[in-house]
Amino acid sequence: MGPLPRTLELFYDVLSPYSWLAFEVLCRYKNIWNVSLQLRPTLIAGIMKDSGNQPPALLPRKALYVKNDVRLLGQHLQVPIRLPKDFFFVIFEKGSLTAMRFLTVVKLEHPELLEKVSRELWMRIWSRDEDITEPQSILAAAEKAGMSTGQARELLERVSTPQVKNQLKETTEAACKYGAFGLPVTVAHLDDETYMLFGSDRMELLAHLLGEKWMGPVPPAVIARL
Amino acid sequence: MGPLPRTLELFYDVLSPYSWLAFEVLCRYKNIWNVSLQLRPTLIAGIMKDSGNQPPALLPRKALYVKNDVRLLGQHLQVPIRLPKDFFFVIFEKGSLTAMRFLTVVKLEHPELLEKVSRELWMRIWSRDEDITEPQSILAAAEKAGMSTGQARELLERVSTPQVKNQLKETTEAACKYGAFGLPVTVAHLDDETYMLFGSDRMELLAHLLGKLQVHAELPLTPPLHDISCPEGWIQSKKKNVLGPSSNGASYRHSCA
Repeated sequence: MGPLPRTLELFYDVLSPYSWLAFEVLCRYKNIWNVSLQLRPTLIAGIMKDSGNQPPALLPRKALYVKNDVRLLGQHLQVPIRLPKDFFFVIFEKGSLTAMRFLTVVKLEHPELLEKVSRELWMRIWSRDEDITEPQSILAAAEKAGMSTGQARELLERVSTPQVKNQLKETTEAACKYGAFGLPVTVAHLDDETYMLFGSDRMELLAHLLGEKWMGPVPPAVIARL
Repeated sequence: MGPLPRTLELFYDVLSPYSWLAFEVLCRYKNIWNVSLQLRPTLIAGIMKDSGNQPPALLPRKALYVKNDVRLLGQHLQVPIRLPKDFFFVIFEKGSLTAMRFLTVVKLEHPELLEKVSRELWMRIWSRDEDITEPQSILAAAEKAGMSTGQARELLERVSTPQVKNQLKETTEAACKYGAFGLPVTVAHLDDETYMLFGSDRMELLAHLLGKLQVHAELPLTPPLHDISCPEGWIQSKKKNVLGPSSNGASYRHSCA
């Protein structure tokens, strides 16, 4: 038997387009590298508040840059990102609190569905410019991910319970303890050291730290680990 | 004769460690890709002022992060970056005004030496924790880059002339016009479009935009330093494997070499 897989934690929020890019690349590589990918739904608004940071879009030149950057990276990484028509309203007014609480309870109860439900929420907000704040929006994403309506409703009812609220708070605090000032944050646990990497653009460095091969953001599926 | 080389402009400041990383990667690839690399000495302090941005190090968690990030990237990119002992003093108090004016006049008078002098200034501040603000520091860097003492002194005398001050201002304004809010900024001029890429971590995307994406996993995108000592061998091995832009949207395919 080979060496034990190294744990990678991905702290992410579906409100964050760069989180989606990091998520997709890591989901591709989790089947290639000897790693165990732990998805950790986090609240980016909580990270900002705790760190004193501001979302980049609040600086005019950064907002312009991010719009182009996200579009180009989506093409390069083959992730179907499309900017919402009302970018600022979606990010700053609507937010992602209920969606991230929902993903928190999905992780508690149906962790095997967390990847798919996360993806469906991203597809809504960051590909089809659809809402993710209303109950029916979240149910639609869950069902598209393969959850039954019954299961989805049950979980939705629990989003405002103390257990779920606290779990999301704890995960957000854990990210802050690792030094997060934004998302996505990838934490790589190696034998002798733990590395916190910020952004969707540290994957080649991650490969180097893991001693794994980097084959670009869209690795050939044929070498996927059986 | 093949297609015309595409112009890449690199706006950089030696005060910026990420600028050094971008610089070294692009200096390696300028001999491999069909590009013409134009180095553009810029004042990062001017970019910050004009854009309303703040250096990341002013936020405590970002300062901590940047210190680790720069160290790890230096190892990965094989650039001998070492943080100055008094990081904040070096960046915020001492700055880089004279150094960037000096590079500006080097570009005007001895453009063939711009790459080496820039590198020697980075080696001082970002590898050996040495000063780059005093005249003797700048002269030392210039001489290490192959300039005679006489030449170096002549250029140093011109750093406060209106011509040089204005040139640095103009370059800084040009970066701002491209939308810069920090450095490094790489501007790629393609036939149909111009792309502004910020940071040292958009080089793989740049390769994709240039249609120069490496296909074989065994050949790294960033050649290790020992290959740079034998550029012909490296270029020959690249020529067998470089493909044009993908046709079906797939970023990676196998070459037919």
